[in-house]
Amino acid sequence: MINVAGNVALQNVLATLEIERKKIAATQKKGYFFITIGIIVAIAGFTLGLLVPTAIAGFILLIYGGIILYKISGELKTYEEAFKIQVIGTALKSLDDSLVIEPYKGISVDEFEDTQIFSESPDRYKTEDLVHGKADKTAFYFAEVHAEYKTEVQTKDGTRTEWHDIFRGILFCADFNKNFNGVTIVKPKDLFSTMGAWFSKNLFSFGNKDVIKLENSEFSKTFITHATDQVEARYILTPAMMERILTLNSNTKKTVSLSFINSRMYIAFPMSRNYFEAPVFKTLLNPDLLNEDITVINFMYDIVRELDLNTRIWGKN
Amino acid sequence: MVALIIIGALLLIGIFFYNSIVGKKNQVTNAFSAIDVMLKKRFDLIPNLVEVVKQYTNYEQGTLSKIVELRAKATSGTVSDAEKASIDAQLSSSVKGLMVNVENYPDLKANTNFINLQSTWTESEEQIAAARRTYNSAVTDYNNAIMMFPGSVFAGMLNFQPITVLTTAEEKRKNVSAKELFNN
Repeated sequence: MINVAGNVALQNVLATLEIERKKIAATQKKGYFFITIGIIVAIAGFTLGLLVPTAIAGFILLIYGGIILYKISGELKTYEEAFKIQVIGTALKSLDDSLVIEPYKGISVDEFEDTQIFSESPDRYKTEDLVHGKADKTAFYFAEVHAEYKTEVQTKDGTRTEWHDIFRGILFCADFNKNFNGVTIVKPKDLFSTMGAWFSKNLFSFGNKDVIKLENSEFSKTFITHATDQVEARYILTPAMMERILTLNSNTKKTVSLSFINSRMYIAFPMSRNYFEAPVFKTLLNPDLLNEDITVINFMYDIVRELDLNTRIWGKN
Repeated sequence: MVALIIIGALLLIGIFFYNSIVGKKNQVTNAFSAIDVMLKKRFDLIPNLVEVVKQYTNYEQGTLSKIVELRAKATSGTVSDAEKASIDAQLSSSVKGLMVNVENYPDLKANTNFINLQSTWTESEEQIAAARRTYNSAVTDYNNAIMMFPGSVFAGMLNFQPITVLTTAEEKRKNVSAKELFNN
């Protein structure tokens, strides 16, 4: 675990950024204050007998507040970026020297679709905070991803667009320690996927992937596995690997999904929180500030060890 | 008319069950041939392995000739599937013994060819294990289909017999964790 309080470099960075944060927080408060007053005055001007000058004064205050917020937005962006690169970056380095965060990079939408974990194609896709590095011999990376698809709903006044999450959370990718050619997908088991599996097993199959019946009953209860090659799927999902995946899954709130493709393994962790974000109205000097971010970093870093991906005895180095 | 419809329906159900059982039986055959392919792959490693080991040691002649002999027997084409499996088990334990002894030959242990062969051997070990599990899963599927009602009725009429799953000998089970040998 990374020791925040005892890390001098990290404490120095936090102290410098705290000054910046206070400045931004004060300016933002001022901006919001003028906007609030502006709205109140403008409404008062309209309602209390249409006092046009009062209403205009209200609008001016409102615009002034807006300008204040706009002017500080550049600094806010720099501050947020500095937080990610310097604070999160230092925390990463203290865990392993190879770890780097790139706030504006992520996992491309093409790669997201190539994982084949998700059946829908995203209509709106956001990704940020790419962290990459190596845990011993195994290269890995992860990033925050928010993928959505849209539906058009007919209403009285025309059509309304509704957005639905395909996935929101962290997508993790590591170089897998065995060679394989096909595709193996492990998804959480729900009623829909169970029915799909029954159909493809007993009546007719959709696509080119078979349902794989695995002998670990707890694994089969939690996940449903599809693969292009029965033997290869079992070569990847050895009894030991299934146990390790179950352990990994027991440490997460929502069931994870995995795919093994192009010599890599992908793990999708559904999460609702946006990680690695700098606070504006809360102090940076709170010792618990980084707890959740660090827990996530440690968790991701430990996956490689937990899944034993550093054992390279299968002809892949 | 009604009788005809009933007969027709029964016939259709019969065809459905028959096809489904035959499909499952073919899966079993298919899965078995996968094991065979993997075994062949492993047997093919032996000549190279023997060659490399020979260069460095003069002491393991007994083990080496035994391994060569077993390989020749396994690939001769006259052995049954069951025999092949038993030869494979013997081969595995001989190779395992050989790899333990490699500790005594640092030059051999450091040889790139040998290291490659070692990892290919472990890889084949895991692939055979995977193929066996696939086979067992196909067998369980087939057995369930012919032993559960109403499939059991058709299976009884058409004389489908249950197949036994492959069990792993204790020796073999230990073998899979061969990585311990390499992590020394």
